[in-house]
Parts: sequence; structure tokens; C-alpha cells
Amino acid sequence: MKTCPTTWSRHRIPLLCVIALATLMAACAATPLPPSESLAAATNAIASAEQAGARHYAGAELEEARSQLVLAEQAVTEEAMIEAERLAHQSRVAAELALARTESAKAVEINREMERGADALDVEMRRQGEQK
Amino acid sequence: MKTVSLLKTRSGGKLVPTIVLSSILLGACAASPTTPQAALDVREKLTELQSDPEMANNARNELRSAEEAVRIAEQPLGSGQADLADYRIYMADHMVEIARAKGTTRLLETERTRMGEQRDAARLTARTLEADRAQADAETARSSEAAAAALSAAAAADLQRRIDDLEAEATERGLVLTLGDVLFATGSAEIQGGSNRNLEKLVGFLNEYPDRNVVIEGHTDNVGSAQFNQTLSLQRAESVRRHLSDHGVERRRLTVNGYGLERPVASNESEAGRQQNRRVEVIIEN
Repeated sequence: MKTCPTTWSRHRIPLLCVIALATLMAACAATPLPPSESLAAATNAIASAEQAGARHYAGAELEEARSQLVLAEQAVTEEAMIEAERLAHQSRVAAELALARTESAKAVEINREMERGADALDVEMRRQGEQK
Repeated sequence: MKTVSLLKTRSGGKLVPTIVLSSILLGACAASPTTPQAALDVREKLTELQSDPEMANNARNELRSAEEAVRIAEQPLGSGQADLADYRIYMADHMVEIARAKGTTRLLETERTRMGEQRDAARLTARTLEADRAQADAETARSSEAAAAALSAAAAADLQRRIDDLEAEATERGLVLTLGDVLFATGSAEIQGGSNRNLEKLVGFLNEYPDRNVVIEGHTDNVGSAQFNQTLSLQRAESVRRHLSDHGVERRRLTVNGYGLERPVASNESEAGRQQNRRVEVIIEN
């Protein structure tokens, strides 16, 4: 924060100083902070998806999430914080989609496996039935 | 993967007069705010999911969030806000797809439970079948056991009948069959007449029960020297063995002993007693 220059306050009334300070503060507020919360959320979502096996089951979605995060970080360095925040959000939903598609792909696999098991059981039962 | 981030919002401008009016009134403002076409596409996908009762059921919360995102994406924006429009559509589209994926997963999980139940039922059927079969097998085994027992009982009865027929005596050494002295002429070891009813029965019995071995023992009374009697008793036992082996009984099953006057069964004082002592005993081992 800037302090009020003393050379000004000596001869002028303090009101001018207050106005100057308010103007400077307003200027400060116009430059937004990096969207660290959104970036962290995206990073976490990507980690969760990876942990669930998204690399194998939803590679394209995971890649999309990663590239959105890279763009978000790039935007931060360019101080385009609004864009950075949007990109971070996009990265997060892309990672969430990667996770959701990973889970459903796994569920498909498990069900297919169970069906095979059930078929094998049917065959076994038929065989037993024939024996009898 | 479908992304809508690259889609551009289409400027509206359906009504030329509006544009003209806008141009006049607003000057710098390029176009009137409209709902982006891509948002309408996302809305269509969402409506499709919402109208699927299973999806509506399985992804209720996700669909609600997607609905909210789509509603935001549908908000009309000016062409100057293309970036914001793209962002909102990206978010809405992804949330719709997340709802779809989660709904699908839950549907599959429900199916899995059903399949598990079916499989359990199938297993139970299989196990019941197996148990039934095992029981049937056990019953078969029991009945065959009973049959075997009945058979052996019948065989035992048959054996007993044969033994009775032989007029053999059951002792701890086995079945003892006594062939009297009438078989032989006095002082001779030759079997008289070549044949004898008791011997015939013995041959028949031994041929029917081939796993039974036989000890043939010759005995005499006390007339004559001990040496003579011992030799005579052995020769008579040998005669019986020869007769048996001539009639199909293997020689290795037959053992002979001559005891002479050593083992009388009656008193040698009387003729009746001496006659009882002159004998050949055939012991059929158990």
C-alpha cells in the first residue's frame, strides 16, 4: 500500500490525501488476484481422475483437463485472471468428466465380466443337467 | 470428446429492422444479445437425458447441476462476450456429459445387483441340483449296499446249506468232515468202489469255494504197531488227496497229515470205538 506523500500534506488539506489514497486503492483492486482456489480444485480433480485410472479409460478427457490447466496457468502469468479462472473451471469439469467416464467404463467391464461368469455357470448347470 | 470451447456464438440478426434500429440507437453496440446456438444444442442433450426415466432417477443431482449450468449458458450475450459464452457452454456441456456418465454408471451398478441376485439364484439351483443328486447317489449306494448284504446273506445261507449237506462240523479249526473207515478196506489205503457220496459232496463244495484250503488228516485205531498205523494213516490221507485232485481240486490247496493212533476220538477197547477211530478227517479252513 502506498502512503500519503508528506510533501503534499504539509500545505494542502488532508481531504486531498484521502482522495488520492482512495484512487490508488481502487487501482489496486482492479488488478485481480490469481484464482488459486479454482486452480487447486482443477489440480485435485485431475489427480483424482488419474488415481481412478483415467489415463487408461478416459485418456482424451484427462488430456483435455490437463491442457485447460496449462492454459489457465499461462493466463495467470499474463495476469488475465478472469480468463485464468474460467480455464481453471473448465479444467476441473473436464477432469470430473474424465473421472465419471472412467467409472462408467469400469462398470461396463465389471458387468461384462459378471455376464461371462453367469454364462459359464449356465453352461456348467446345463452340463450337470445333462449328466443327470 | 466433444468440446464446445471452439464453437463461436452466432450473431443473431434475425430481424433486420431490429439491427437497423439498434445500429441507430446504440451506435457502437454491434448486435442485440442472443442465446448462443451451442447452448441450445446442450439444452437438447440435457432434455434428452431428463426425459429418460432411468437417467432422471440415477443422476438426479447431476442433472440438476447441469440444468443450472445450461440455464446460465442460455442467457443471451452480446457478440462482444463470445469468450464468456464459450466458457458457459463448455461448463454446461461438460456437466451434462458428467450427468450422463454417472447415470450410466449407476444404471450398470443396479444391473449388477440384479445380475448378482440372478447368479445367486442360479447357484442355489445348481447347488440344490447337486444336493439332490448326491442324495440320489447316496440312496443308490445304500440300496446297493443292502443288495450286497442281501447277496452275502444269501451266499452265507447257501454256504450253510452246503455245510449242513456235507454233515461237516464247525470247529475253531474250520469245518471238519469225517470220512469213516467204510471208505477203505482193512489195512488198505485204496478208496473202495472208486466213489463215495460224501467225497462227491466234498469235491463239489471245494470247487464252488476255490479260496478255501483243506487239511486232510488220517487216523487209525491201536491195532498194529504205531509205525504201521502212522504210515497207513498218511497213505489214506494221500488217497483222499489224490481223489480230490483227480476231481479238479488244486493240489496246493491240499495238505496231508498221518497221525496214526495218536488221536483217538473214542475208546479202542470196543469194536465200535475202534471203528470211530479209523477215519480220515477233512478240515476245510475258514
